[in-house]
Amino acid sequence: MTMPLGPLPGTLELLVLKTLGAGSEMHGFAILEWILQSTDDELLVEDGALYHALHRMEGRGWLRSDWGISEKGRRARYYRLSAEGTKALVEEELRWTRYVDAVAKITPRESET
Amino acid sequence: MGPIRRLFRLGLGKPDVRQAVDWEIEHYLAEQTDRLVDQGRAPAEARREAERRLGDVAHLRRKILATDRRRVVMGKRGEFWEAARTGLRQALRGLRRSPGLAAAVVLTLGLGIGVNAAMFGVVDRLLLRPPDHVSRPDQVRRVLRDGDFFGQPSVISATTYPDVVDLRTIPEFVSAGAVSSRVPLTLGAGEGARQVMVVKATHDFFTTMGVQPLMGRFFDADDDRVDSPLTAVVGYEFWQAALGGDAGVLGRTLDLSGHRVTVIGVAPRGFTGIDLERVDVWLPAVPAQHAQDGSDRFLTARTYWWLRAVVRMKDGASVEAAEAQATALHINGREESRRDPDVRILTAPLIAAQGPNASNESKVARWVAGVSLIVLLIACANVANLLLAHGAGRRREVAVRLSLGVSRMRLLREMVLETLLLSILGGLAALALAHWGGSLIRRLLIPDILWTTSALSGRVVAFTALLSLAAGLIAGFGPALQSTRADLTRDLAEGGRGSSRARARVRGGLTVAQATLSAILLVGAGLFIQSVLQVRKLDLGLDVDRLVMAQLEFQGDEPDEPETTRMYAEAMDVAARLPGVTGVAATDVPFQWAHVEDISVPGLDSLPVPPGGGPFYYAVSPGYMRTMGLRVLQGRPLRDTDGEGSEPVALVNEAMARAFWPDQDPLRGCFHIDESEECTRVVGVVENASRAELQVDGILAYYLPLAQTGGAPAGMYVRTDGEPRALAAALAPALRSFSPRVRFAQVQTFRELLDPQTRAWTLGAALFTAFGALALIVAAIGLYSVLAFDVAQRTREIGIRAALGAQKARVLRGVVFTGTRLAVLGVLLGLGVSLVAARFAQPLLFHVDSAEPVVLVGVALLLMVVAVIASLVPGFRATRVDPMEALRAE
Repeated sequence: MTMPLGPLPGTLELLVLKTLGAGSEMHGFAILEWILQSTDDELLVEDGALYHALHRMEGRGWLRSDWGISEKGRRARYYRLSAEGTKALVEEELRWTRYVDAVAKITPRESET
Repeated sequence: MGPIRRLFRLGLGKPDVRQAVDWEIEHYLAEQTDRLVDQGRAPAEARREAERRLGDVAHLRRKILATDRRRVVMGKRGEFWEAARTGLRQALRGLRRSPGLAAAVVLTLGLGIGVNAAMFGVVDRLLLRPPDHVSRPDQVRRVLRDGDFFGQPSVISATTYPDVVDLRTIPEFVSAGAVSSRVPLTLGAGEGARQVMVVKATHDFFTTMGVQPLMGRFFDADDDRVDSPLTAVVGYEFWQAALGGDAGVLGRTLDLSGHRVTVIGVAPRGFTGIDLERVDVWLPAVPAQHAQDGSDRFLTARTYWWLRAVVRMKDGASVEAAEAQATALHINGREESRRDPDVRILTAPLIAAQGPNASNESKVARWVAGVSLIVLLIACANVANLLLAHGAGRRREVAVRLSLGVSRMRLLREMVLETLLLSILGGLAALALAHWGGSLIRRLLIPDILWTTSALSGRVVAFTALLSLAAGLIAGFGPALQSTRADLTRDLAEGGRGSSRARARVRGGLTVAQATLSAILLVGAGLFIQSVLQVRKLDLGLDVDRLVMAQLEFQGDEPDEPETTRMYAEAMDVAARLPGVTGVAATDVPFQWAHVEDISVPGLDSLPVPPGGGPFYYAVSPGYMRTMGLRVLQGRPLRDTDGEGSEPVALVNEAMARAFWPDQDPLRGCFHIDESEECTRVVGVVENASRAELQVDGILAYYLPLAQTGGAPAGMYVRTDGEPRALAAALAPALRSFSPRVRFAQVQTFRELLDPQTRAWTLGAALFTAFGALALIVAAIGLYSVLAFDVAQRTREIGIRAALGAQKARVLRGVVFTGTRLAVLGVLLGLGVSLVAARFAQPLLFHVDSAEPVVLVGVALLLMVVAVIASLVPGFRATRVDPMEALRAE
């Protein structure tokens, strides 16, 4: 079994943006679970780091937050994308693909090994 | 597991940042614990594991909080600028919708703020700003003397040299220095000679002022002894203009009224000492005075009042203690017989206008500054009025927006921003006006002062900005409040045309206020104009309008008396040959000089002390009375035959005749001059005349024939039947070239001699009139706009009335009546206030009662006429309302 990967710097933001990208509104723990699930637990997201990232992104204007009551009846802080966040999602995705492409160009492809 | 949706929003408002973080962490722990329990852990263990996964909770909390705080700050700042941007955009849009209103408001505010900015430049120099280049000006104080001075109680700045020496010993002072007043000396000789303004300063004057030379040095103690060779410090402006800014000026010698002086320094730009007038050359007081007098008596004489002292206080030293010591020294320094126990030595701020002996100009400037504030108030009232009318026109819009849920705060903000924008534009217009008007005031009305800054200094700009904002808020806030206090249903139903009585009252009130303020200003203008007229009409005894005074300066050593007499005789011949000259006379006491001798009158033990001083001594040539325009009331004038060897005779003036021979015929009187053997016989009585000031009453004077006194002329008068300035222009070159012995001739028309004395009234009259006229125009526009708006609002009502057969004349009368009623109210209030306020201005007026009926009636009439004219235009418009159209418009 391979060790779970720590996220590359900057990717945590992209993951959050993508998670909220469909227009959904989620609290921190839900975002955490969603990321873990949708990456098949491959990415190890540090729980505290995610919360800090959420606040950082809100500060940047990418996210908006609001208080609400969760399905379990708990008081929770809900996050959603702002207009700027939606823009950022597109940009971050583009940046990420370019990055991956660039890295792919110089690393041997699996099929050739 | 899908995303957990929120069930409903929390109506919690926003928790504070710290609490929010705690709640969020708590929520994580709860959810994580649940999840771990689901995975089969025991609850307590699950909780511990959850906490472990979060890592150092305290550290995380701190990190998040720091991030959040930054955001809160940034967010608020962002919101503010965002709001400001939108507000500005909206305000601009609003202004573009009503360009007429915008123009009217900007113009009115521009005028109102502009006059204030222009006056501020003047007042700043006169009253607020200490002289340039003085270090710690708060420590420097002028020394004044409060007490009886030659028979008159007064606060004077004059002092004597030994008194200044005394001041140096007072421990509360760091140092003490003194300067003479500004005197004209002649630079060079012959054709190229010119007059320069010179101030004599003790060596410690500059150290006391704490000023540093631009080049070279100021005087030291060695330059300031009786036998020191004469040195000079030249003023920056003189250095630039007359010496071409010569970098090698140090060591150059100048010929100043026949004395050779060596330049040792250049004063910094704009340094004028304790006064505000330009100084061309500074000379060391002691050797310069010695050279002028030919004696060093001034070093010890406590009767020779030629200096004005300044001192620098030690930090924290008591002013009262210092004044007490100075007073004691002043009294004790005098001989027993001359001691005046009631005299007090005072100190006052360096800025003369803040002290007790402020000049009349500065007092007038203070009043005029107040007046310009009133102009601004009128302008603000006008703007408020315009905005109220504008707001009334926008009520429907406001009502709609309010009903759509736009908050009143936001509407208010928009409107206030709109006026602020207007006032900023007004401020810009004001700066243009201040630049132009300020320079005009300086040049025309206060020309002697060396203005060191342009009319638009940084301080003026800052003042203008401040005033613009204040004016915008004052004028904008009220109307904004008014127009957002909407009665929704009514405004919507009436289509925004509803007449609000309260609003009409407010606007009427503003109009009355404007009329009141205008009346006050016009009364002020009237009083000052009356003063100027009185001054002009003033019978100085002398017939001054066609008179020129000339004084000769000689080359080399002063000529003795016979030679001086010969030179003046020649000069008088030269003058008499000029076209238009009708009279020439010489005197040994030219205008504004004074000569007093001890006299005694047989039969009188003591002589009455006249309030105006004197009796003043004049030795004159025979043509003096005729040339000066002095009427001989009794007896005969002086004759050519009254010469050496003949019986000594004198003319006395009326005041002297009445004071010394009250119940007798003065022509039988005689008096001894300076304990002379022979009694000088009175052969004639002449009318009273001014000696130096605009004062005639109570000045005692007598006139002796020059030929009998053995004295020499010191000046001459020339009368013309033409234009005195033309005569002066012809006389000056003629007198400067008729003899090689003459180095220079000073020639001035009599009006020029008197002008500085009348300047305060001219200044007051000019500025009060200008501002009063401005106020009147603005107020008239205000009244007009109120009535015009009123008529527009009442179009329907007027239409109905017309339809019902109301006569046009009646409609017109109605409107004009409304207008004049407001004006009458304003005039009455204004005259009432003026009656009270003018009493405080009384000392500034010249022989004019502050309740002068001519002025009050004139102002009332003027205002009423203007009010009627301003009402007629909207009145006629009302008569042209077409009933059909007015009704159809419904």
